[in-house]
Amino acid sequence: MKRINIKPDLYSVPTTILLLAIVGVGIGIVVSLLAIAFYEAFDWLNKEFLIDPHERIQLANKPLLLSLATVGVPTVGGLLVGFIIYYFVSARRPLGPSDTILLVQTRGSPQPFGSSIASTFAAVLSLGCGASVGQYGPLVYLGTLIGSIVNSLKLKIPNLQAICIASGVAAAISVAFNAPIAGMVFAHEVILRHFSVKAFAPTTVAAAIGFIFANVIFDRPPLFLVVFEGVQYSYEFILFAVIGILGALLAVGYAKGILLCQSYASRSGIPVAFRPMVAGLILGMVALQFPEVLGVGQESLRFATIGGAFELGELTILIIAKIFVTILCLGFGFAGGVFGPILLIGILCGALFGGILDQLQLIGHSGVVPYAICGMMAAATPVIGAPLAMILIVFELTRNYDLTTAAMVAVVFSNLLASRMFGRSLFDVQLASRGFDLSLGRVNALISYGSVTEIMRTEYPIFRTHDKIGKVAYQLAHIGRTAGIIVGTNERPVGVVHVRDCTGRPPTTSLKDVMNPETMRFSESTNVGQALEAFRQSDYEVAPIVSSKTQKLLGIVYESDVISKYREIADRIRQEEHEPI
Amino acid sequence: MNRFSSLLWLSLILGSSTTWADNGELIISGWGGAYEHAQTVSYFQSFEEEHDVRIKIRPYNGGIGPLDFLEHPGDPGWDVLDMTESDALAACNERLLKEFDKSVLISAPDGTAATKDFFDGAIFKCGVAHVSYADVIAYDDRAFPNVKPNSVADFFDIERFPGKRALPRRPIAFLEWAMLSYNVPVSQIYDLLSTERGFKLVSKRLNQLKGNIVWWEQGHEPVDLLSNGEVVMASGFNGRFDDARVNHDIPISIIPDGQFVQLSVWGIHRQAQRPDLAAQFIAFATSTDRMAALSNLLSYGPTRKSALDRIYHYAGTMPLITDNYSNTELGFNRRIRADSQWYSVTESIRHQWFEEWLNSNGE
Repeated sequence: MKRINIKPDLYSVPTTILLLAIVGVGIGIVVSLLAIAFYEAFDWLNKEFLIDPHERIQLANKPLLLSLATVGVPTVGGLLVGFIIYYFVSARRPLGPSDTILLVQTRGSPQPFGSSIASTFAAVLSLGCGASVGQYGPLVYLGTLIGSIVNSLKLKIPNLQAICIASGVAAAISVAFNAPIAGMVFAHEVILRHFSVKAFAPTTVAAAIGFIFANVIFDRPPLFLVVFEGVQYSYEFILFAVIGILGALLAVGYAKGILLCQSYASRSGIPVAFRPMVAGLILGMVALQFPEVLGVGQESLRFATIGGAFELGELTILIIAKIFVTILCLGFGFAGGVFGPILLIGILCGALFGGILDQLQLIGHSGVVPYAICGMMAAATPVIGAPLAMILIVFELTRNYDLTTAAMVAVVFSNLLASRMFGRSLFDVQLASRGFDLSLGRVNALISYGSVTEIMRTEYPIFRTHDKIGKVAYQLAHIGRTAGIIVGTNERPVGVVHVRDCTGRPPTTSLKDVMNPETMRFSESTNVGQALEAFRQSDYEVAPIVSSKTQKLLGIVYESDVISKYREIADRIRQEEHEPI
Repeated sequence: MNRFSSLLWLSLILGSSTTWADNGELIISGWGGAYEHAQTVSYFQSFEEEHDVRIKIRPYNGGIGPLDFLEHPGDPGWDVLDMTESDALAACNERLLKEFDKSVLISAPDGTAATKDFFDGAIFKCGVAHVSYADVIAYDDRAFPNVKPNSVADFFDIERFPGKRALPRRPIAFLEWAMLSYNVPVSQIYDLLSTERGFKLVSKRLNQLKGNIVWWEQGHEPVDLLSNGEVVMASGFNGRFDDARVNHDIPISIIPDGQFVQLSVWGIHRQAQRPDLAAQFIAFATSTDRMAALSNLLSYGPTRKSALDRIYHYAGTMPLITDNYSNTELGFNRRIRADSQWYSVTESIRHQWFEEWLNSNGE
């Protein structure tokens, strides 16, 4: 991890404001256009490849062709996606929102440009071939990509990378849901993880631009429209809370299913490049029976809010099939998001809940709409960990206050339970498995993410067991330290000497008589957080860092180094969160 | 340019050198009832007089089947056809209509070129829209003295509003109404109707009416069925219901919800015996004053601005293609602008589905 030097602002306040506004507008325009192009591209592929139900129904008279396309398109598409990911994406996995979060939080360097483009292209292809994956993850990553490009212009504004990426993500979400407020909040809630005045302005501008492009200039259709005349019985809010709890269970099952399937896929022995093809083949087979599992399932999403559109039995089977193929597609490496499918699964489950209420006829209720919407939000929120943004998405999509209030109840209960059972979001759990654990808090996550080797010293005095303590004390005083490392033969550390152990002894005392046989040592895999904790629990002031393979000394780290690293990160985050424009 | 010189100019460019006297007859499709009557008064008669030609009205009830007469020896054929927008598009795709030469259209009285005067979307490859009308649901006032039906959903609600319903024996309009009855927003009707599940939902609504449907084939039938008490609700054309109510004191009311707005298009049959005369007729019938004359008799909307300016009052339920349909997205008084593109590409599956439904329900 690079050392962060907080430089004074280079520009006057008005210039900074102007620059930030230009950044917001520029990123907003580019991301909006690309996001719309992204939609158009996979829509077009859906039509050409007979995934789109409108095209399929016109071929109802040619069942053989239709069946061939149903199985063939996802299979061949999967093969192509697999090869793109394997050969052109350096991480050899599709890139998504978790990479965005990591990039913004750690201020690391972005994935190679080519990898990002290839991953986005693979996502278009996956969606175009009917893979059961989401469109929003790749869109978020598209926003990240554009934000990173603008950041590389070196405008010399502190913390610009996070601002640019957040603006890109805000615009992408704004376009995707026709929801500018949700886009702005999503960028803060999921990506930035804090609210600062400085990031607020450009993300809001970018989100508004996204809305203008999607809604005013291109007049894109909303995700769905609903008719809802209000919650009729007060006890229904209890049912919304129940849906929240069920939604949490569904979300946790879904997220764990994806993780399990990913680990199964990597143990399965199927080469990375061929995994999506296998998923595509199975998806195609399932789709022969249930064509509605193909693709993003726009139509099913809309039907779910229509009472009586599904029989309860077929709805149950459709839900199970959709969960199965989605976990399979995501686990086996199709490029795409986790959010789109869980929206659909959630809304179908909500519709099922409403349908069962209807069938039981025990109590009066306000129709299937609020249950479907609550189900959707309750299931989707824990997966992406954005309760505020979700509530706003409902509000902006439906413009209905009653529905939003109902969804809010479901979201809150769902989030409470799921965060206890699973974690804040699937992204955070994925990142934690990669060593970046945001559940510890931003400061601790950052400390725990950096390897202790990043702050280790490689120039230091080396002491031997036969050295005399007089000489040792002199040398330590000379470099202003009170502790040092003692190295044995074959260059392995054998102990630590502290000046405090030498006081009151004759200077000719041999080091081996006063040294602490060293019991605390770090390796490359020790992170700064662990080092900090180890120092805190011992009275050592220095520790050796050894190669985990050879046990040879790589360098040393002082307690003060670790503490100043901690201070530095804490300062940086404090500054980021409270920085004025 | 006055009409005479326009026609002269028109006859020159069409290369017609015959005299009108022995033109014999022009075969034009007719929909019967109040509409045909209004057409006769507005332009059939005057065209006959001005051009010394007999107009023969041949009954037509929509669809493109009747246009394909090559297999029927002795079929008199057609010259001019008055078709729904979707039928006209389908007929055009099947090359049953001639390509329409829009230069024959007559300018507005103030000199505005016809292409500017007609509303956007009124001039097609194979014809020109001359009137906008709506399929609406009307009910017999006598059948519902207390609670009145007021939404499309009520049409399918046989329990609250018992009695027989009249529907066209063609898969049109009630598809959209079925969707509306599920509260599908107007802008998403065709998206959802393009899926198997969409058709299933329509079937479900029809199933609810099973045994209570009287199918009609000719445009004047719905009014007759309502007035003689055979049905309590009927789908039909707004102008005819208005006419029956206003001019003939028949006790029917139109449900304002779910107006299904379409265009009627003049086209010339590919094998027309008198294509030049047919083009002249279309130019004449779509001239500003003739078009306005029809809309002043019947609440069908004109398709050119200069004609709209000459209408006494927007009678009854007159639908206009210039209306903004997006503001009737949800709630009551929803209006649907027919997607004729969708109709033309789904021609065969719609009919296939409809036939299957009819057969499996013994209708």
